Amino acid sequence: MVGVGAIAARQYSSSAEQELAPAEPVAEEDRLRAAAYALLARLLVRPPTAESLDEVRGLSGDQSDLGQAYTALASAAASRDAETIGREYHDLFIGVGRGELLPYASYYLTGFVNGKPLAALRSTMRDLGIARDPSFKDPEDHIGALMGIMAGLISGGFGPPATLATQRSFFDAHVAPWATHLFGDLETAKSAAFYRPVGTIGRLLMEIEETAFRMT
Amino acid sequence: MSEDARTDGPSRRNFLQLAGLGTVAGGVAALSAGEAAALEPDQATGPGYRETQHIKTYYDSAKF
Repeated sequence: MVGVGAIAARQYSSSAEQELAPAEPVAEEDRLRAAAYALLARLLVRPPTAESLDEVRGLSGDQSDLGQAYTALASAAASRDAETIGREYHDLFIGVGRGELLPYASYYLTGFVNGKPLAALRSTMRDLGIARDPSFKDPEDHIGALMGIMAGLISGGFGPPATLATQRSFFDAHVAPWATHLFGDLETAKSAAFYRPVGTIGRLLMEIEETAFRMT
Repeated sequence: MSEDARTDGPSRRNFLQLAGLGTVAGGVAALSAGEAAALEPDQATGPGYRETQHIKTYYDSAKF
């Protein structure tokens, strides 16, 4: 259970207007939010390649909690190779039969995979015009897919950036109810080493997002 | 983008700026630049399903 390719495109309600409107610049805070989501998506959908591991090694955060988590991730990347991290990923998320964690919304919310939360997500994705790649068999409610959708909504991966209202609605319905719990589990998982700071980054981002969305 | 995009009041912006989004140097600059480049929507095709570069990239990166 690895490839979660839950992305296709966003449909517009008023396409002509959208086509003519000048692209709105993505604000710095939103660029950082999208970058954090994109990083999580990259590392959670599949283990990093040697090349993307090199990029992770180059991360250097500021003194904030999230910045320190980035720095911790960079040093976790510096002391491991892609093969080692691939084995860790396997133990965490795939396993023999199952991995240590089941990173699916449906599992976290109901105790079973492929339950109602997955159905609700698919319905939202249809409304947003986002489809998963049919060549991937994994459920769309995988944490990596959800992080990828958030990144795309913020920075415009499926068309123009989604409004904050759309971002919030997606986050509240499909991410907030369980993602913090999953990231906390990742931080303390027995098999996790490289993925511990990934869990920390995820947990901190979820906390920031929850607070910030309440201000909208 | 409609008016409700502007529900983003100064308090939220201020919070996000102060919350420490972990402003990153080095690799992340490259990472986000790469993401930004990969997020170019394909303007050639009409509304509806668009295969943007991001989508292709996402698909590629999701494959084993």
